[in-house]
Amino acid sequence: MAAQAHFKVGMKEIYLPNFTLVLKRTPSQPPTSASFLVPLWFSKLDLRDYLHHVYALPIGPHIRSYVQQSRIRQGQTKDPARPQSKRWHRPRSTKRMTVELARPFVWPPEPEDYKPWNREENRLSREEQEEMQERAGMTADAMAVPEERRVKLREQARALLEGKQKWRPGGGRIVEGLGMYQR
Amino acid sequence: MPPHKMHCTSASLLKTTLLSSSTRASALPPSFLLPAFTQTSPFSSTPSHNARKDHNRNRGVSALRHTGIGKNQRLSVRVSALPQPVVDPARRSAVKVDPDHGLWAFFPKERTRLSTPEELNMRGRGWTIQELRAKDWDDLHKLWWTCVKERNRIATGEVERKRLGGRFGMYGEFEAGERLKEVKGTMSGVRFVLTERWYAWENARVQGMEDEEVDLYADVEKGERAYVPREEREDVS
Repeated sequence: MAAQAHFKVGMKEIYLPNFTLVLKRTPSQPPTSASFLVPLWFSKLDLRDYLHHVYALPIGPHIRSYVQQSRIRQGQTKDPARPQSKRWHRPRSTKRMTVELARPFVWPPEPEDYKPWNREENRLSREEQEEMQERAGMTADAMAVPEERRVKLREQARALLEGKQKWRPGGGRIVEGLGMYQR
Repeated sequence: MPPHKMHCTSASLLKTTLLSSSTRASALPPSFLLPAFTQTSPFSSTPSHNARKDHNRNRGVSALRHTGIGKNQRLSVRVSALPQPVVDPARRSAVKVDPDHGLWAFFPKERTRLSTPEELNMRGRGWTIQELRAKDWDDLHKLWWTCVKERNRIATGEVERKRLGGRFGMYGEFEAGERLKEVKGTMSGVRFVLTERWYAWENARVQGMEDEEVDLYADVEKGERAYVPREEREDVS
């Protein structure tokens, strides 16, 4: 950038680099701190150089780097007819670097209304979908009694135990039966 | 009375002490106990060294281990005079952010945290190769870096959108993907044009090396001609 670098700039010229840097949210850190998701081969010197030349961002003297290993997981099946692509593997690790800024930076506030992103409708439709899948799936018998009925049963049981209601066969309704037990 | 199961000598000793304490006027201990009161030299013959004065005031004090301030530590400020941090975020003073801070480039133009899908859609198409062929070296590199910053911006927005969407997600993935496609198309176009230019230059250079009419070592600024047709050459008869 136009401003003088506050560190010794390297001699190697790099043309058309092809990688992405992501600015991470750090609510627990002070506003003079910023964290980035960087490529795994990135070094602290690279980050300092990059931030100076691309974003004109002067940084404090120390950068902290942390590599997070991913957990082992199965592959995604794009084609359900070929299950062999669901191999167990460990995806690539992610590297984050935390940097001390010369001037503080606070992230803009979260949006108040999520209507443009349709978050509420998404949630309702997905919940309904999940419920339908559970009803049709292997745990269907666990879902046989819906929650509202369970609550009502609980209330009835409590009333009977407390003596507020008296138990009557058939719930007091006149039921058409075989008549074997009627007097 | 001493218990029956006690050893006879200890029982008899205890009896004598008890009886003696009740009958004698002066309570003198028996003779076998006298060394306990008169002996002042230590049992061990090893010379004992008194502990040296430790002049290290910071011994045992560690910030990493959270030991706190030591008893003999002398600080420039009294602990009671230290300022207390404001724990409640609502009571903290607002931090003023510079309008020309470098990190604003990671956020959309409107300086909101997250672009709506509509805002992401408000874009043109990427550069075509025909348009890029007309551009010079500096312009192409400036365009590349603009694309890099836009890609960082989209990636930051995607991470934030996934977080705010929670378990069920939010709209915006498709729009961000489309925007990214245009950016990546432009970047690949820039790379293509520069590669094409290089191959043209390389082919011309190789041909020029073999060509008699072309002088690759001519200094054009001084007036020497790089291309001299065969008819005009003086050394060929």
